[in-house]
Amino acid sequence: MRTLAILASLVLAALLAGGLVLYAGWYDISATDPHLRPTFALLDFGMRRSVRQRGADIAAPALEGPGIAQRGAQLYRRHCEQCHGGPGVAPEPFALGMTPTPANLVHTAREWQPADLYWVIREGIKMTGMPAWRHRMSDDEMWATVAFLKAMTRMEPRQYQEAVGRPSPLPPGAGAGGEGLRSLPLPLGGGAAGEGPDPKRGRRAIHQYACLTCHEIPGLTGANAPVGPPLGGIARREMIAGTLRNTPQNMVRWLRSPQAVNPGSAMPDLGLGARDAADIAAFLATLD
Amino acid sequence: MRLSSRLLLLVVLASATASATPPVRAPDPERGRLLLRQFGCGGCHAIPGVPAAAGKVGPPLRGVARRAYLAGLLPNSRENMIRWIRAPRSIKPGTAMADMQVSEDQARDMVAYLYRAH
Repeated sequence: MRTLAILASLVLAALLAGGLVLYAGWYDISATDPHLRPTFALLDFGMRRSVRQRGADIAAPALEGPGIAQRGAQLYRRHCEQCHGGPGVAPEPFALGMTPTPANLVHTAREWQPADLYWVIREGIKMTGMPAWRHRMSDDEMWATVAFLKAMTRMEPRQYQEAVGRPSPLPPGAGAGGEGLRSLPLPLGGGAAGEGPDPKRGRRAIHQYACLTCHEIPGLTGANAPVGPPLGGIARREMIAGTLRNTPQNMVRWLRSPQAVNPGSAMPDLGLGARDAADIAAFLATLD
Repeated sequence: MRLSSRLLLLVVLASATASATPPVRAPDPERGRLLLRQFGCGGCHAIPGVPAAAGKVGPPLRGVARRAYLAGLLPNSRENMIRWIRAPRSIKPGTAMADMQVSEDQARDMVAYLYRAH
């Protein structure tokens, strides 16, 4: 009886404390900072389990048939690319400002079952911005989108552009440039006069450019998906993107115009301004 | 002198023929680990389990099997990793990754090791 009373008062105290945190407005609900790490881990785990549970009973049809993925490509470009981007294609600016940042679907499609992808497309995910499509797409269309997601994992960025029917801006075979391109000047200005690059500001800004949807970055909360190389130790790495010497100027150039440095790269131009790029580069320079 | 140079030619020809024939044996990750060391891959890449492989020129290769792209543009698969190791400059002309004259069989073994979970 006594233990029960103690337990009950403990539960009540926890509820009151939680209520106080919410009522006082202490939890930061802004989209400019990520969730606290435990909150993110809990929500991410719960989301995965929920999807797995519901996708388990769905039998996926054959997705290899002729034309299925091509049909999905058009649907992907029309309904998915704005938020998720694609190989070498950035999400729209509004999507970069979302929290959680819409996932990189090449990574997701590499790791998830077709039935789970289908379920998420059909039902959406609460509080993430992922809409439910079941009243806006037919079943065949949703499976075609899944077929394209799987096909997309086998595409070079250039092939992706062809698949979604966008004329490639680059002639095929136009690889990374030589020294000429590397010495192309890029305006660095922009930031307030007298202010040096600020790594602390860069650490916050990095959440506004979907960096974590493709790179593991130590100490930051988010998808940390291994689409591109991990950025732990990037400060001491000699080369950037396999083509540029790792200097602060080159890092800024790469962050701002990856497609000019390495045409056809899966890293898209994300519209970084001069100041954000300089601050993010300064933050990356602290990762040794 | 002449005999030894002839022998050398024979050896070179034999190895050239060997690298041109399709693989007949299963890829060997342990052999791959040795090859990664012998070709000096660790001079540029940190590779778990390969002695002295702590290079900082290119990206670290821990967990590379899960990575979606190689060289920033090639969808990651065993076949594409073999292609990339054997002819990096045909895939990305300006890359700092050197063509180390790795044979198909050797690359297959290296990839078997890199694809083994670390």
